[in-house]
Amino acid sequence: MNPHMLAQLLVQLIVIIGVSRLIGRGARWLGQPLVIAEVVAGIALGPSLLGWLAPDAMRWLFPPESMPFLKMLAEVGLVLFMFLIGLELDPKLLKGRGHASVAISHSSIIVPFGLGAAAGALWLYRTLSSPDVPFSSFVLFMGVSMSITAFPVLARILTERGLMQSKLGAIAIACAAVDDVTAWCILAFVVSLVRASDLAHAGLTTVFALLYIGFMLMLVRPFLARLGARVANREGLTQNVVAITLVLLLASAWTTEYIGIHSLFGAFMFGAVIPKEGGLAAALAEKLEDVAVVLLLPVFFAFSGLRTQLGLLATPEAWLTCGAIILLACLGKFGGSAVAARLTGLRWREAGAIGILMNTRGLMELIVLNLGLDLGVISPTLFTMMVIMALVTTFMTTPFLRLMYSPEEQAREQMVQTPEGPLPPSAYTVLLCVSHGQAGPGMAVLSRALAGERNEANLYALHLLSPDRALKARADGALDPSAASGGALAPLLGRAEKLGLPVRTLSFVSSEPARDICRTAQAKRADLVMLGWHKPLFSQTVLGGTVHEVMQEAGGTVAVLVDRGLSQVRRVLVPFVGSRHDRAALGLARRLVKQAGAEVTVLHVTSPEGAGTGRAQVEELFPADEGAAVKLKVVSHASPEEAALEEAKAGYDLVVVGLGAEWGLEDRLFGVQRERIVRDAPASLLLVRHPEGATVLAQTPEQARAQGTPQDATQPLGARS
Amino acid sequence: MHLGATLRLLRVDAGLSLRDLARRIGVSSAYLSRVENGVDAPPTQERLTAIARELDVPPGLLMDVANRVSPYVAGYLEDVPAAGTLMLDIARRKLTGAQLARVRAFLDAEFPLREVRGDEPVPPLAPLLSAERVVVQLSCGDYEDALDVAAGRLASALPGVDAAALAQGLRQREGEAPSQVGNGVSVPYAFVAGAAPVAALVTLARPLKVDAPDGQPLRLVVALVDGHVGRARLMRLAHVARLAGRGLADRLHGAEEPQRVLETLEELEALR
Repeated sequence: MNPHMLAQLLVQLIVIIGVSRLIGRGARWLGQPLVIAEVVAGIALGPSLLGWLAPDAMRWLFPPESMPFLKMLAEVGLVLFMFLIGLELDPKLLKGRGHASVAISHSSIIVPFGLGAAAGALWLYRTLSSPDVPFSSFVLFMGVSMSITAFPVLARILTERGLMQSKLGAIAIACAAVDDVTAWCILAFVVSLVRASDLAHAGLTTVFALLYIGFMLMLVRPFLARLGARVANREGLTQNVVAITLVLLLASAWTTEYIGIHSLFGAFMFGAVIPKEGGLAAALAEKLEDVAVVLLLPVFFAFSGLRTQLGLLATPEAWLTCGAIILLACLGKFGGSAVAARLTGLRWREAGAIGILMNTRGLMELIVLNLGLDLGVISPTLFTMMVIMALVTTFMTTPFLRLMYSPEEQAREQMVQTPEGPLPPSAYTVLLCVSHGQAGPGMAVLSRALAGERNEANLYALHLLSPDRALKARADGALDPSAASGGALAPLLGRAEKLGLPVRTLSFVSSEPARDICRTAQAKRADLVMLGWHKPLFSQTVLGGTVHEVMQEAGGTVAVLVDRGLSQVRRVLVPFVGSRHDRAALGLARRLVKQAGAEVTVLHVTSPEGAGTGRAQVEELFPADEGAAVKLKVVSHASPEEAALEEAKAGYDLVVVGLGAEWGLEDRLFGVQRERIVRDAPASLLLVRHPEGATVLAQTPEQARAQGTPQDATQPLGARS
Repeated sequence: MHLGATLRLLRVDAGLSLRDLARRIGVSSAYLSRVENGVDAPPTQERLTAIARELDVPPGLLMDVANRVSPYVAGYLEDVPAAGTLMLDIARRKLTGAQLARVRAFLDAEFPLREVRGDEPVPPLAPLLSAERVVVQLSCGDYEDALDVAAGRLASALPGVDAAALAQGLRQREGEAPSQVGNGVSVPYAFVAGAAPVAALVTLARPLKVDAPDGQPLRLVVALVDGHVGRARLMRLAHVARLAGRGLADRLHGAEEPQRVLETLEELEALR
């Protein structure tokens, strides 16, 4: 290249970039992607407009001898660009998108491919091709060129419309990704077919291509993953790493070129195998994008524009043919994907929108067409027609999408995307509500037993400060509320630490402790709210005051621990007559058996008159294989309370008892009766209440077995009894 | 520097990718990324205006977040130096927000604006709150706990909405774009179909170590729930970020009663 040629090239670059940016302004004003502008700029600079208006100017600007340099620059730009496309292709898009996108993407390839191939075979081969082009190559190529979807243009349209996160956008982008990969594989095959002189060579090329793909996937990808992990951040991406990546990219492109499938395939493949986790892919894309997209890609567009000769379509028949090609292309792509989308259950509007999106061919089509022209598979006339087809299909996407899938429609779809989907399952969660320090150690011991050796529970300790106490603490000077809460939580945390139990603490000022306990329990999806017992101010009962309020408001099981020096949970008594509270108590005991290997005695009290069904019920709830740890005692007594009290004196660590009149336990704001079982039982007690309306605990044994302690903690507060 | 984090939050909420916004305002995505990460200096007024236009929020709001004097004001003060002395007078009197509001009311009455400004007023935060949705002096070990407490309060204001689902929604958004806007404030945000906008405010007794853009520990959480996508909610987000820049966390830090928090907030917001 002599200095004059360099000057020539620089002028060309200035003109190309300038004109495409200029037209780009207009395209943005029309709401069109920039690609359209760049392609139009290329065509305008070529023989179609500039060459037609001022042939001398075109000859001066783009003399034939400068074309090889321009072509080389365009090719390098394409290699970089295909690499970027590969980088954008996240394998996560390809898998796990479910049934819909698989079906849609398949039919959005097969239908247009079939139509294109059929048109090529039956009609275009005769009229627009020369006999020296192999029939099979031509037909295959027509099929591929019809079934292209422009992944990058699609992604850009989707982000511009804010559709990327929507269901529609996810399906469309996944389909486009699948389409791209498939189309490039077919294209690689076609190229190898055309380039190889005979079938044996073609077979050899295919074998090499497969070897290459295997090599990239088996060896290069793990290496890149390690490289990616090492340079996970932007600072890690030194110029050395960029150099390594670029060398590998060029080597990959060279390999595919040498094998006989095109260099673009190698660039794409290399981009695709770069790990998308970590920062490597994003950082590389950031570094290369501007050079590739702003500087080099317009050169490619200009180059293909220079080869597009609208003058070749001089006759009405030619324009008719062009129209027919456009119609076929739209029919295949739009029809194929829209019908498939409808069949997978999307509404017509959404299905139509998907069809329109998939019809975007944009620059990927141009790349394919240039390849075809280079290989001599298609004639310049057909090339021009297909370029027009690509332009038209890309151009119509945005307005049609707006028509089909208006912003209102979009808003409606987004409304459906509320966070109220099914919540992911979570571990067994206990909310420990501590108001005074002394209840803490017992709660820690019981939590240990509920969580088991492997800590299979989320434990939260909640301490609510009353507003005046928080103020006082502050007025006292040194103490800030967090220290004050630390005071109340300290005994619990101290014991928990000794037991190796992870507990997360939470404390804030609250004027309505009961409501805040319930709200927090709901937000944490607590399976059990455990309250510490302290002497209520106005009544004798355990179950008054805040405890009563919590029990009334909570959506899940609430338990009150009456701690009499609980230091281990070995022997547990469950008095049982069969109310829903009793069942909840039994459920907790069951968890104690499973997690801590506790020994549970179920005391079933029948009235002297009639034989109860208790044994059957208990056997149902505790299947025989677990029966060893559960002893069932049936006694007949006129007063269940008395019977339970008598049994409780027989050396138990913990009595788990459901609320109920039969045990002398009823929650009310100001109780006057004295709960004898609480007063007189020597063991620690856990008083359990299960709200009405929430899933009744252990309704069926299967359910009980499957879930441990099933209950609907996610039930809204408003649904309680 | 907290502008970058706010920009990212707004950009993600508007559904724009980094590259997309960069392309629209004509800068490189590398530059925009540096701005968002606070590595680069905050954008010039022209760029900030371009960003505001693309995000469809009033440019003045973003300028405030960036603590930049709006070009209007700068130009006016240059043209009419007497206005500068008036500003000095105001500064010398140390007028509070409430007093400034009275001055403004006087201005509105005496010199009504002839043309309607393009900027619609930014919706204030205080009306979205109530004493019931203000939690003071929370101490917890994890940011998620604060979100849960806020979700609990929010859920009581939204009939038929489950606190756990709401907490999940807040966390999900958190995964998409971190809600820390710097100055010790975070703005978690959830979408509930058809809901009227509400907010909950949580002050932390013990500052939490979080991954904040300016490295300041978290002292205040303003959780927002909205039933509509679009301009108003972006403006609300930006508005909270602006309040954060005006020292919201510092002012609310000592408050022990929800009522006191609301008063402070109203005073801060009296001049929007």
